[in-house]
Amino acid sequence: MSDLDKAISELRACKIIPEPQVREICHKARELLIEEANVVQVDAPVTICGDIHGQFHDLMELFRVGGDIPDTNYLFMGDFVDRGFYSLESFLLLLCLKVRYPDRITLIRGNHESRQITTVYGFYDECLRKYGSANVWRYCCDVFDYLALGAIVLGTSSTLEPSFMDHSQAIEPVDNDVEIEIMNSRNEVTARFPRSRRRLFESEALNSSQPGTPSKIGPSGTGATSDAGGSLQSGGGAVLCVHGGLSPLIDSVDKIRLLDRKQEVPHEGAMCDLLWSDPDEIDGWGLSPRGAGFLFGSDIVKRFNHLNDLSLIARAHQLVMEGFKEMFDSSIVTVWSAPNYCYRCGNVAAILELGEDTSQGGVISRSNGDAGRSLQLLPSNGIPRSGPGRRYRVFDAAPQDPRGMPAKKPVADYFL
Amino acid sequence: MALMVPPANEKKRVKVYELKNNDWFDRGTGFCTGRSANEESKILVESEDQPDRLLLETKISKDDGYQKQQDTLIVWTESTGVDMALSFQEAEGCAAIWDFVSQVQSHLLALGGPDDALSDADMEPFPNPLHLPPPEIGNLEEIEHAMRNIATTVAGRDALAKFVINEDYIRKLIPLVETAEDLESLKDLHLLCNIMKMLILLNDSQIIDHIVTENVVFGVIGALEYDPDFPNHKANHRRYLKDNSRYKEVLSIADPSITKKIHATWRLTYLKDVVLARILDDPTFGVLNSLIFFNQVDIISHLQNNSNYLDELFGIIDNPEADLKKKKDAVGFIQSCCAIAKSLQAPGRATLYTNFINHGLLRVITFAISNKEASVRVAGTDILAAMIDHDPSMVRAYIFKSISEKKTPLTDTLIELLLKEVDLGVKAQAADAIKVLLEPQQPPPAQAQESMTRQNGEFMSKTRPQPQPNPQTESFIQHFYDHSANKLFQPLKDLEGRKSLVDITFHEVQLYNHLVEIIMYLSRTHQFRSKFYIFTEDLASRIAELLAAPQKHLRLTALKFFRQCIGLQDEFYNRQITQKGYFTKILDIVYATMPRDNLLNSACLELFEFIKRENLKPLIIHLVETCRPRLQEITYVDTFQTLILRYDQMQGYNPDADTTLFSNDGITTPNRTPNINGTRWQGVKDREMDPAEEDYFNGSDEEDETLPRIKKQRRDSVITNGVAISPMLKSLVDYPDDDDDAMDTSSSEPVERTIEPKLSPSPMLQTPPPERLSEKRRREENDDEDELGKLTTIKRRNSGPSVSSTGGNSTLKRKKAFVSKNENRDSLTDKGSIKKIEISLGAKGAAAEQGSKGDEDA
Repeated sequence: MSDLDKAISELRACKIIPEPQVREICHKARELLIEEANVVQVDAPVTICGDIHGQFHDLMELFRVGGDIPDTNYLFMGDFVDRGFYSLESFLLLLCLKVRYPDRITLIRGNHESRQITTVYGFYDECLRKYGSANVWRYCCDVFDYLALGAIVLGTSSTLEPSFMDHSQAIEPVDNDVEIEIMNSRNEVTARFPRSRRRLFESEALNSSQPGTPSKIGPSGTGATSDAGGSLQSGGGAVLCVHGGLSPLIDSVDKIRLLDRKQEVPHEGAMCDLLWSDPDEIDGWGLSPRGAGFLFGSDIVKRFNHLNDLSLIARAHQLVMEGFKEMFDSSIVTVWSAPNYCYRCGNVAAILELGEDTSQGGVISRSNGDAGRSLQLLPSNGIPRSGPGRRYRVFDAAPQDPRGMPAKKPVADYFL
Repeated sequence: MALMVPPANEKKRVKVYELKNNDWFDRGTGFCTGRSANEESKILVESEDQPDRLLLETKISKDDGYQKQQDTLIVWTESTGVDMALSFQEAEGCAAIWDFVSQVQSHLLALGGPDDALSDADMEPFPNPLHLPPPEIGNLEEIEHAMRNIATTVAGRDALAKFVINEDYIRKLIPLVETAEDLESLKDLHLLCNIMKMLILLNDSQIIDHIVTENVVFGVIGALEYDPDFPNHKANHRRYLKDNSRYKEVLSIADPSITKKIHATWRLTYLKDVVLARILDDPTFGVLNSLIFFNQVDIISHLQNNSNYLDELFGIIDNPEADLKKKKDAVGFIQSCCAIAKSLQAPGRATLYTNFINHGLLRVITFAISNKEASVRVAGTDILAAMIDHDPSMVRAYIFKSISEKKTPLTDTLIELLLKEVDLGVKAQAADAIKVLLEPQQPPPAQAQESMTRQNGEFMSKTRPQPQPNPQTESFIQHFYDHSANKLFQPLKDLEGRKSLVDITFHEVQLYNHLVEIIMYLSRTHQFRSKFYIFTEDLASRIAELLAAPQKHLRLTALKFFRQCIGLQDEFYNRQITQKGYFTKILDIVYATMPRDNLLNSACLELFEFIKRENLKPLIIHLVETCRPRLQEITYVDTFQTLILRYDQMQGYNPDADTTLFSNDGITTPNRTPNINGTRWQGVKDREMDPAEEDYFNGSDEEDETLPRIKKQRRDSVITNGVAISPMLKSLVDYPDDDDDAMDTSSSEPVERTIEPKLSPSPMLQTPPPERLSEKRRREENDDEDELGKLTTIKRRNSGPSVSSTGGNSTLKRKKAFVSKNENRDSLTDKGSIKKIEISLGAKGAAAEQGSKGDEDA
């Protein structure tokens, strides 16, 4: 068992690892992260997660519900630390997994991955408590500066594959018309939503040149790989993931690439907005009550998605009692993965699974993100792209931990 | 009003505090009296120095806004919304005034007319006298039920708190814990736990103070071990708190009341962090914090006024006989004091440090940072950092003194530490300390400044008012450049003539990172001296060498230095950059990272984007004139083509005409291109390259061969780095391939593809953001919803209360508005937790206002 695997199993047991090892892992992670783009490219299938906030036991529950790494690919949209009592264990575990399985897990930066915020909201104190000095906090903050600002998920499927953990039930194929499926933590479907009529109609119209072919394309191997709609209809389109939201300074995904992200999260500017903004029921841009970032309305999201050939924006940053919340005709979704936030909010958490589009033999349309190119592919009528098939797994706070109730680690010794 | 109450007119020595800008401001020391006259009762404080001056004159109102905390403190909110506190020298004095206030209030309440503020529905006077069933094991269910009902109203909670205290109810409950444990009656234990929780959440500082006293604490905490939320679990709080070995007593403290306070504080901390961590509501959290804070203030002031104690404490360090363990503990003790001092008010902190320094604090630091053990060095740098943070000029004065006494000044010790230290934390703190010491007079807080400069380096450097030179600071800085800088930057200077950076060690990398960051700091803050120094020592060239370091993060740091130079938009730096041709090396990085969309590449692009956006003409001219062919080859973003276009426009050429050819090969710049290439190859020969790079550089250096090779390299990496190469990027990078012919045949005509200067607003920008963030922040300055803005106003953590009652009220209003508008409960909860944090920052303010507001919040 390598040192890294040992560290992972220690951390899985919610035990801290020695400071020199933290340093080593942070340095290794830095080497990996420096190679990542500001907007990391991620291929479906992937499970997208929102804020964790140091709720270690709930992170374990998340892995139980969503499947373990490396069996499931994960994308965490930031805010790993602060507020909960186990920021250190949670972040270090995710970081170790990143070093161990770099292509299975993607970590992007949240507004709490910052020196200033962590000194106020708990992570700094926690490091001080658990290690007696701020060294580990410094190492972690150094890593924060290297985290990517966003991710773009390609090759998503517009349909839902049967849930991977359907052991109990006979595997029944999910109806191709199902766009959204909600499951509970016992792997039971609690709700399904078909694609809207308008969208169905639209896809049929586009397929009309080949009557008889199904409007949706079946799973690989079924032979139903019609290219009628091209990548447009068989795929679920590209999904942009950021922690907060959009910025008035960023009109294309490519613009994000022109940022120098290795810095403390600034108080204004594009990088700040990506991590701090929130969608809101307004027109255009609005002031954010948070004092950083902006509020943005549905028109902004729809135009951005159209210009960048995105079908969906996934973001975190705001507590939603139901774990997830789709807004603006499903053009943006908030995913929240910290159940019973702060151990007292009483909310449930969710993760979002996006399936892989197997209809084209794994070939992915490369157009996404390149504004100039995507324009040629977009339907001229400006109908929004139909979104990928989305499976939300909703889960509650972890059942009581046998070792004790969540609490901060007490200060070991005292002089005064 | 007749004199119902004998006025408390015996003079009580007291300090008057007012909450200003989130800090307790000391209004002075005086003598406190309570007076009743003309139906009005007042608390008066006459100044100690000028007896005819009133420090305080406040009318006692019937609102229940007064709080007695510990034995010596009364806190309340004035009708104007200002939070005030009286800190008594003697507990008896405090008790007397408190009695006076209580009696006046009960008198006023009795008189209370219909317009009484207390006539609100939930303020119905509680049916007196309140009675709970007698504390017996059989009654627990009934007690719990009764308490739950009573606690639903404000008046009920107050009455309950008074009842519990007057009847000494908690002490009577305590034996039941043991009984229930003996009976193994989990149900009763759970009930007791609930009762204790409710008592704590009554949020009465007297109750909480009572709970952590020696005789009571184990009973209460024992009950709290049986949390019904975790029915299968029993905590071990008692065992933890009974473990006396956790208390490290370096020297025994003579005053038993102080020792008691130390233990009580420790228990409060444990209560807050562990026992109650999950269930604490904001007001109780605030009360706990304020109790801890005031205890600490008492402890510290006791210690520092005890000269014998300090002599003995600091004597441990100087005593060659004392064993190492004892010395380490003494350092730890002093570190704790300094940590607490961070939350004191500036004058108090100043006294503490003066006191400590007179007793030999600097010797302690020297001892600690030269200690073999990393943990002691960490403690030493911690103390030092705290002291420098408190008052850099004070530390500078001491350094001057040691310079004049021909002793090793602290600066040199710090530099030594930075150069030699192996513990990365200590190294980082040493680097930070050096920066703060070299800070010119009173600039904005380092952190804010840092980030601001990061964001608007160009802007800040122009608009920041030049600090008034303070002669001492000035000569300190001058002394640094004359004597210390050479030593500090020697490792960088040693880079000159170093054949290769391949064998660079881990610690060298760390050191270079720190040194470059210090240089960046100096060039931002010391205008002419740093320029002169960087110029005479040719540090920029050394840093440019780091651009080729094998460690990418080191390259990034070096790159940031140049980015900052450019951002300063200073003639001097521009000249350095153009004369020394540093862009070549930066372009090397672009080329080396080009197929990959990675951090280093983005950082380079940002630099060139900045030049483009700000239209920095001298740099554009230099860049295009010296590196044109290389710029032309970078086509995956339009930045470089735009730069060329800008240049051509500047030269007055019509971009569409062939004249661009002349500008490239023209007479004005004869041997330029070969020269630049020459230096490039020279620079490259000595360093190790990765295979792909080697493949690229080993090729012929004739221009027309370069392009295909780059493409080959791109393809290689596409194949070999399956994961790293993104499909999106691939399409972007492949783009020039489509234009192969154009590129090969007319490499000097970048305008084949018309590139619009991206000056026109993009579609997204057509709906501009409503206003600049800075304006917004100004507007919302008083709004504690302003999560980020708030952070910028708070320099020190725990430095003082940040919730004034007015601020709190506005939060409440906004909160409601927000909820009704947007049923998005996250913002509500978010706000809730924000407030909680603020309360943790500002314990006293929260405590002062908790009385009425806490219930609204709950």
